[in-house]
Amino acid sequence: MRLLEFQAKRILREQGIAVPKSVLISSSENLEGVSFPAVFKAQIPVGGRGKAGGVRVAEKTAEAASIVEELLTSTIKGHPIQALLAEEFVEVRRELYIAYLIDKKANLPILMGSSAGGVDIEEVAKKTPEKIIKKYVDPTLGVQDFVIRSLAKALRIDELQGFRSLTHRICTIFQERDATLVEINPVAVTPNGFVALDAKILLDDKAAYRHRDLFDDLQGEQRRLGRRGRIRSEELAEERGITYVPLEGDIGIIADGAGTGMLTVDLLHEAGGRAANFCEMGGLANAEIMRQTMEVVLANPQVKVLLISLIGGLTRMDEMADGIVQCIGQINRGVPMVIRMCGTKADVGKQRLREAGVEAFEDLQEAVRVAVERLKES
Amino acid sequence: MAILIDKPTRVLVQGITGNVGSFQTQIMKAYGTNIVAGVTPGKGGAEVDGIPVYDLVEEAAREHDFDAAISFVPARFAKEAAVEVISSGVRLLVMTAEGMPDQDVLAVVHYATIKGATVLGPDTPGLISPGKCKLGVHPHFLFKEGRVGILSKSGSLSYEVGRVLTGNGIGQSTVVGIGGGPIWGLSQESVLKKFEEDPETEVIVLLGEVGGTMEHDAAAFIRNHMNKPVIALIVGRTAPKGVQMGHAGAIIEGEEGTVESKIRAMKNAGAMIARSSIAIPAIIKKLGG
Repeated sequence: MRLLEFQAKRILREQGIAVPKSVLISSSENLEGVSFPAVFKAQIPVGGRGKAGGVRVAEKTAEAASIVEELLTSTIKGHPIQALLAEEFVEVRRELYIAYLIDKKANLPILMGSSAGGVDIEEVAKKTPEKIIKKYVDPTLGVQDFVIRSLAKALRIDELQGFRSLTHRICTIFQERDATLVEINPVAVTPNGFVALDAKILLDDKAAYRHRDLFDDLQGEQRRLGRRGRIRSEELAEERGITYVPLEGDIGIIADGAGTGMLTVDLLHEAGGRAANFCEMGGLANAEIMRQTMEVVLANPQVKVLLISLIGGLTRMDEMADGIVQCIGQINRGVPMVIRMCGTKADVGKQRLREAGVEAFEDLQEAVRVAVERLKES
Repeated sequence: MAILIDKPTRVLVQGITGNVGSFQTQIMKAYGTNIVAGVTPGKGGAEVDGIPVYDLVEEAAREHDFDAAISFVPARFAKEAAVEVISSGVRLLVMTAEGMPDQDVLAVVHYATIKGATVLGPDTPGLISPGKCKLGVHPHFLFKEGRVGILSKSGSLSYEVGRVLTGNGIGQSTVVGIGGGPIWGLSQESVLKKFEEDPETEVIVLLGEVGGTMEHDAAAFIRNHMNKPVIALIVGRTAPKGVQMGHAGAIIEGEEGTVESKIRAMKNAGAMIARSSIAIPAIIKKLGG
């Protein structure tokens, strides 16, 4: 999960890292608690927000209302702005970049720092990679003091004690909350020490069970703030823990594996069809999950044909067939169904489908072709 | 000899008494895999399909020798189980668990490196050397013995390609599922290296997908170190930016993660590109002249 800036900063603050004084604002009528001059920052889950006009400065209250009004009615990179973080101005001497994340190539945590903070760090990494200092960290030993001292030296930091506690706190957030990235860019060097001006935190969804309350709170906030406009299928899928990605076409897709699911969508596009979604049940699906997944995909009114792509490994085709037959009995929108079925217990599965009046294909490409035909007929 | 496993490989099964564990153990055993023991905490003394079950890996190790382990332990307990079996000195561990926290995977992979063990996974169907040994959950009837090595991030895609190859009379040496990421024990590059060295493998099929940069590293390895032909199928061409296509690793975060960039890298490295599973047999037959 990608945290919004104000959520990330709340975690930093809880850990003892200094952040600017701020108020979260969701309407231009209530600017109480904002101290001017103030910076208004759109709370959306994308980078490059400043360049896209999502960060504005107001000197006094008079101009703030119209800036806030304007921001709250605009959309940046597809995200309607639902809230702003109003922050006090901070006097900055220098700006640094600091991040702790998992390096997926080396399979190790990595501590990164740069004196070129504040600007587009991806540009810095591309054009002048030598300006980014990288220190690999042993995942069981954690960040050792010499690593911090070495980084401080490279970044020409005089105030070692403050930098040491900042770094340790970043690493603690990473470790204790199962983050995959904790990035502060920029870290302002101020007369009063280090202050986090912007922050990005990614939490590992797979570790949510270890931090249930934290995840529930963060997700609840995000749902209230910016995830309007989701279709029913997405909501249902989230409730049921099913992988569902909305796409823009009219052929609903269900697969029992991520790889064949992606192949099915690719082949469909090549055959002239368009997928309404990507959806995979994972290896532990049974009849009930199959039935629920069909409900999820069919909840999207755009779906005119349903294409089910199954190649049982862990999933058993007899159970999949039972789920499909149950679903046909319960919801009948008259959506034509094209099924590709092979793998574990496929003979039994196909027999059960046949008894329910549904024919299953062995070949994926043929099933895809037929799905496109059915769409034309419908 | 196939890669990583072979007929004589002696196997320990962790989580052998669970639903999936016991079902898959029986299938592996019937296929001919030499399973010597199983472990489930609290179930010591039981048997699964005639295979003795122990509470602890160290107890199993006292009674049996084993070279490889497969773990059906669920994600929450998978790290603990992995460390237990790696500490026993096992050479190869297959972690099937889906949804292991990244930091747990890092810890396991790091510990394995220190102990000299190889970890396959997590979120992997395992591997199969048709006719010899099956250390995983593949629907084995879709595969047959032969000379094509398959490595795949996705289990289901490797079944699909196995089915198409077998249907066209083309057998496989070993089919390796490396897992859905985003953190992998064994990488595409390491598996390619093993296939290049394996005298029984003549052609390699690499099944990659959108997201991450691993295919770029694999392409560099193909260009610099491989003589055997490689055929690459990369799926997820239609994936929108920033969304996760089922696998935790299948998400475009930078330019390098797109299918186009991966296909370009593979082409530049001299790999042949297949656009679907059914295109692969013709490419292989052409290679055979």
